[in-house]
Formats: sequence, structure tokens, C-alpha cells
Amino acid sequence: MLTMLAKQQLETVLKKALGEGGDFAEVFLERKSTNAITCEDNRIEKVVSGIELGAGIRVIVGDNTAYGYTNDLSEQGLIEVAEVVAKAAKGTQQDVTIELKKVQSPVTSTVKQYPEDVSIDEKVRLVEAANRAARNIDDRVKQVAVGYGDVVQDIWVANSLGTYVEDRRVRTRFVVNVVAAHEGLIQTGYEAVGGHVGFELFQEVSVEELARQAANRALLMLKAKPAPAGKMVVVMAGEAGGTMIHEACGHGLEADLVQKQLSVYAGKIGQKVASELVTVVDDATLPGKYGSLTFDDEGNPGQKTVLIENGILKDYMYDYLTAKKEGRASTGNGRRESYRDRPIPRMTNTFIAPGQSDPEDIIRSVEKGFFVKKMGGGQVNTTNGDFVFDVTEGYLIENGTVTEPVRGATLTGNGPEVLQMIDMVGNDHGFAIGTCGKDGQGVPVSDAQPTIRIPNLTVGGLLE
Amino acid sequence: MEDYGILAKKLVEEATAKGAHQAEVYISKGKELTIEVSKGQVETLKNAEEHGLGIRVFVDQKMGYAYTSDFSPTALTTAVERAIANADKTFADSFNVLPKPVLDHRELDIYDPGIEKTSVDEKIQMALQIEKAAKEYDPRVKIIESCTYQDSQYQVTLASSEGIVTGYHGAYCGCFAYVVAEEEGDAQTGFGLQFELKIADLDPVKVGREAARKAVRMLGAKNINTQKAPVVFDPYVATNFLGVLAPALSAEAVQKGKSLFAGKLGTQVCSPLISIIDDGALPGAIMSAPFDGEGVKTGRTSLIEKGVLKSFLHNSYTAAKEGVTSTGNAVRSFKSTPEVGTTNFFIEAGSVSRDELLSGIDRGFYVTEVMGMHTANPISGDFSVGASGLWIENGKLTKAVRGVAIAGNLMSLFQQVDCVADDLTFFVGRGAPTIRIKEMTISGS
Repeated sequence: MLTMLAKQQLETVLKKALGEGGDFAEVFLERKSTNAITCEDNRIEKVVSGIELGAGIRVIVGDNTAYGYTNDLSEQGLIEVAEVVAKAAKGTQQDVTIELKKVQSPVTSTVKQYPEDVSIDEKVRLVEAANRAARNIDDRVKQVAVGYGDVVQDIWVANSLGTYVEDRRVRTRFVVNVVAAHEGLIQTGYEAVGGHVGFELFQEVSVEELARQAANRALLMLKAKPAPAGKMVVVMAGEAGGTMIHEACGHGLEADLVQKQLSVYAGKIGQKVASELVTVVDDATLPGKYGSLTFDDEGNPGQKTVLIENGILKDYMYDYLTAKKEGRASTGNGRRESYRDRPIPRMTNTFIAPGQSDPEDIIRSVEKGFFVKKMGGGQVNTTNGDFVFDVTEGYLIENGTVTEPVRGATLTGNGPEVLQMIDMVGNDHGFAIGTCGKDGQGVPVSDAQPTIRIPNLTVGGLLE
Repeated sequence: MEDYGILAKKLVEEATAKGAHQAEVYISKGKELTIEVSKGQVETLKNAEEHGLGIRVFVDQKMGYAYTSDFSPTALTTAVERAIANADKTFADSFNVLPKPVLDHRELDIYDPGIEKTSVDEKIQMALQIEKAAKEYDPRVKIIESCTYQDSQYQVTLASSEGIVTGYHGAYCGCFAYVVAEEEGDAQTGFGLQFELKIADLDPVKVGREAARKAVRMLGAKNINTQKAPVVFDPYVATNFLGVLAPALSAEAVQKGKSLFAGKLGTQVCSPLISIIDDGALPGAIMSAPFDGEGVKTGRTSLIEKGVLKSFLHNSYTAAKEGVTSTGNAVRSFKSTPEVGTTNFFIEAGSVSRDELLSGIDRGFYVTEVMGMHTANPISGDFSVGASGLWIENGKLTKAVRGVAIAGNLMSLFQQVDCVADDLTFFVGRGAPTIRIKEMTISGS
């Protein structure tokens, strides 16, 4: 339906946006269609469908950005916003010619089964199956919430450099939350799976298995003791996810924070910022991952960027504006939550590359320590590098063996210190998905890491 | 508003004609302005308008929902039809009913025309004042991450098959700042924030100075040894902890077995010094509105009184299930069904000053920022968060502390509160005074 807006009309809007001057203008059109199914209390509670339609217009003059958005996607509606934005940008008037050319991405989407081609009944059946699987584990399972969600996001980006891009993103997500209770104690277990994929996700993933894992974690935590407190050797499993690397260095390598001197990694390109065992990559081109992109939200193709190679800082993640400030190309990391937001540098799929060690050997090397089997969310202060991440499944390590489960631990450390400290890196690799928040914008990402050993990290628990 | 009232009513009629037994249409329209300045210049100026519509239907007491921000006639009809089709897949529930209209309509003072009247240039000046005040506070304030002025004007329209056709206008505005202080290679951040219903109440200079003060006092922060000690939460940190408690006070969580407070009505659940209130009609407060997301009158609900659990928050569904009246806590956007949520939610102020509260502590930890609060578990109550702040010695704030963690369970935390100060401060829709916890484990080096 949006293709009604011909390139010629977008050219007119862009010219209007630069009508009062400016270095760069861009129109971002979006149509997002979503479906969500929720099951709780042993029944299908909600089925919600939605359509969001809107356009964002941006004009850059020097370092300054003017931004506006609207739901009125007629040519007249867009011209009105373009005029408001042009006035706010206050550049110097000049003559512009814009000729839009369609750009193809070298990265191709691999979606096989579009959500609209699957009946709602089939989606409901999956949700019900997961609900049953979790409840059948044990009668201490008191509540199960299962959520299915699909999103089809069509975007059109046109800018005054002549770039014109059309892209369709399809994302599918499945979440299970289990509450278990016993003798007055309540604990929870959470599992989520998702990707830049369609319904074919469920050919690879068993939702019943996912539900059982969530239920088993909730039950395990019922018998877990409170986590200990203080500094200790920490081993993080490959399957634990990548929250640690996302927080400990990912955010600090986003070019906007670097340029504003808000990152401990600013000015350190070419320097050793991590142990030589550590290589960190952001890769939007991985097929089907939750953070994968054919194009970013500025019309640049998704790409693979090596950020840290064998401990040496190689590059940051850039969007158009931050790249322009340094006279270089964007790394395809310009992302936004929706047409309401201006793009900023964001991660896609970020990971520590696998190393050489056998994960079993890493655990065996620890006499007394903490084993992280699954991570939850995290947060970082990029200015001083301090970060935290939540452990949703943790154990003690005693004499080289993983022993009893512990609950309620957050691990806290300093990014640059921890990266230098990593002294063993496993040959395994595990991904986890999440929604990353920055400047009030949430975007889908995935993170991964191999099993790693950190000799000295603070575990936030309780003293006996 | 009249136009949207007519549209909403028309869609309700379309839905009932197409098979919905009950229908409700919620329309929101908003206008947003954000001005971010840096180095004496406007860095980003965002000016936008948008609208959205959500339709909720009950067919044989089964609920269906759809929303759209495309208001073309075809898109609106599609939304109506999808909502009805979605209802077919959900569970029939006799408590699925729409509320009746509120008869005593009242006006709340929640729309300041001054926000619309103040020019963009004057608002840019306010943002610049924040930055100037932060820089002038101390030469060590070297980097301005952002100094922002923001306002929002909105209009809500609601119509239902039960005879509701109503709406209101509201507006709020705010200033916030994130700054960095630097000294000898050490860089620390600080923030300041203020949101108000009336633009005349904004004090950009105060916001800038507060951000600067918080950044500067964290310079030279160090880790401390793992130990047990009294801990004080400043109003911002106390508000963060209160936020984790919010879901447990919703009747929905109780009915689903997901609340720490289930089965505890009438019992002592917190220290007798703690009283927690939700007030959707609180004068001067950002989240006040004449009615909630499904048209029920808002008001004051005393949830915890002197430590005793008195009540839970309800929407029409949870209230019907329990045979009580909704507390007017159906919270929503056009994209969501009306769910139980908080409005203006706060811990009541105590009677001592902050300094008096601190004076009783020989050695303790004054927490001014927590990291990873979103990882706290509102169902089990377990939390473990990164913390930074100032060390207390002999009742006085001394050196800065960072990189430690504090952990525990929310229930025991609020039971261990042994002093509440008189400095209740709101951070948008939530607020708390400074509170003191008798003893906690601090995980450090």
C-alpha cells in the first residue's frame, strides 16, 4: 500500500525537507503488523492484532538534527512534516537535486514461512502445547504464562544522497514464564527464543522442550540457597547467553558514546583493551538471528564488524551521523525502534568468538568459584565501565565440579578490567535473545559467548 | 475531541452490528516536543504528532483486541473485524464485562495552556539553562551527555456500548540532564530530573545543578570490603525499589498466584513506618486523570497503611472476579488492553529530616544509584543489584563508593526499614522519601 508513494513523491518531500537548507535529509516510512497470543491461568487470555503506520523525517545541519513524525502518509501529510522539520533545522538555503536509486543488500533474508500464511489456530495450538508441557512437570508449578508474537515490519528509506531502500523484516518470538511455589517460597523460570525468521522457527525449536526448561529452572530455584557475597572465580557457560559482553564492552563501542567521551573505550583504537584470548564481533549478517538485518534503519546493508581482535581494539559501531563526523563509512549499525525515533548506533548480534579450551577443562580448573549457567538482563555505566548482569541459574564450583544451585545473584565488575582478566575461552558458543534499551528505544538483539573464566568478579549475594 | 468521540461511537456501533456483544474504543492523540542541547546549541529537536486507536470486544464473554494507527476507513474496519475474529480464539470468562459510565464527571487541573503558549525558542532557552547551570556548578563538569526539555500534550477519547462517550485533555513538561565530571582520568556521571504539569513550575537551573552535584561527588569513588551495614536509599533509589513492588500489589498478580502479598490482607507485611498509596487523581501529579483506561473514576487507594496490607489495585475484570469495585487502575495505551497498573504511586513521607535520619548511623552506605534494577524479580521478591553512592561515617556523608552489589528479598527489605524521612520526591509517576534499612549485605572486594 505504501508503494503508492512513488520515488518521485519522496524526492519532492526530501527537497521540501532541505527547503531551508541542511546537509542531509531522510524519510523513513514504516508499516508494522503484529500478532500476539497470551496464555495464562491455563487458558488463552488474549489475542491481539495491530497495525502501526507512520513516517519519520530527519534533517541534519552540521552536528544538529531536526526530527518529526506523523501517521499521515499522504504526500501532503509528509510535506507538512518536512516543512516543520526544515524550519527547525535552520540551515542555509541552497539548490538541491535528488535522484533516488534503489539499493540492493548483499545480505538476503531467509524467511521461509510468513506469519500471515499460518492460521491463528496453529499459533494458538503451539501456545497451548507449551502451557501443558510446563504444567505437566510437577504440581509445584503454580502458574505458567506463555507468549507467542510475530512482527512483519515493512520499511522504506529514502535520503538526499539518493539512497532508496525497501526492506521487510519478519520476527518471531516465543516466551515461557513459569512460577513454582513450595512451603511459602515462590521462584520463577524464564525461557525465550526468537529470530529474524518466520514460523519455520518452530521446526528447529520445540516449544514443549522450552517450556520444560523454564519449569525445571523454577523448580531448581526452589531448592537453591541464597548466593554468596564477595569476589570469586567465575565461569560463565557458553549457553549462558551474551549479556556480559553486551554490557561490559558492547555499549562502550557505540560511536555516539565514544565521540561524546562517554565511553571508557574512547581513543583506544589499536590499543590492547582485552586479554589476547578475546575477539569480539558484531555481525548483522548471521542468518535468522534476532538481531540480524538485511539493511539497517538508514538504508545501509547489515555487516560484520570485528570490534576487538585478539585483545586489540579495532573498530566502533557507527550510524550515518557518527560516521560522517569522522569522514568514514557507517558500519550499518544505525537502528531505531520505530518511525518515532531517530536512528542511533546500536548492536545487532554481538559475541565473543570461540577459543580453544574444552569447557569441561575450564570448570575443572576452578577449586572454589561460581558457575553461571544462564544470564538474565544487565546494565552498564559506559562512562566508568561499571556493569552488572543478572544470573538466573547459578551454581557453586567446588574442587573442579559444579555443585549446588544458588539463587538471586547479580555479578558486577568493570568492563575494561574484566576483559583484560579473562584467562580461559572455550570452544563452544551459545546465543540468547533480548530487547536492548538505549535512549528510551528498544531494539531486538542477540548476544553470544563461549564458556569463559574470569578470575575475579564480585558476586552480589548474602553473607551468612 | 468531538470528532474522535463521533468516530469512537461509530466504531462501537460497527462492532456490535458485526457480532460483538460489548465493544469499547479508545483513541489517543498526542503531540510531543523534545529539545536536546549540547555545547550551547540545539543538538536534536523533535516535533511530532500521532494518533492511535484500540478496540476491545467481548463476544460470548470472550475478549478480542486490535489496534491501528492507520485511520483510513478500510484499516478501521479491518481493526473491528480482527478484534471480533481474535475473540473467537480466547477463553469465555463471565468476569469479562465493560464498566458503566461515570455519572459525576469532574474536571482535574491537568492541562496547562502555558505549555502550548510557550514558544519553541523559550523552551530551547530552558534546555540551555540546564547546561549552563551544570557547567557553572563546578569546573570539573566537563561533558554534557544530554540536557533536555520535553513536553507532551495528549487527548484521550473513550466510547463503549455501555453508554460511555467521554474524553479529556492533558499535558506535562519536564527537564532532565545527564552530565559527566572528570578529574585525574576518573569520569563519573550524575543526573537531574523534574517533570511537572505546569511549565511555570519547571526549574531548569536546579536540574542542571543537581546533575552536576551528583557527578562531582562521585569522583574518586572506590570499592569497599564485603560487609554488613546499615543502608540508606535516597528518594530515587527508594522509588526504584518501590517500582519492583508495584506488580505484587495488583489484584491480577494475586489472582494468578504471582504476588508476594497473596493471602496477606490485614497482616503486617512491612515496617510500621511504611505506608504505600496510589492516587490517580492526586492534584499536581503527572499521572492524574479523571478516569482510567476503561472509563472508571480514579482515586486514592491506601495499599499499605503503617505496614499493614489494606488493599490491592483493581481494574474492572479483577474487581468483578473478587466482587469488589474497581479502584480505577486500568492502565493502557492504544496498543494494549486495560491492565492493572499504578498511577501516582508513592511511599508516604515520614517526619524526620534526611540529616536526622543519617545522624543515627556510625558506619553505613548511602545509595544514590542502582544498576540492573530491571533484573529484580517482582514475583519471588529476590533482588541483587549493582550500587554506588557515598559512605556514611558518624552520621555524615564521606567518600564515594562504586562497584558494589546489594542483595536480598523485597519483603525482608521493607520489613527492616527503621527510619523514613520527610523528603518525598516524585520521579514522574512514582515517588518515595529517603529510607533507612537496618542492615544489609554489601558485596564488595
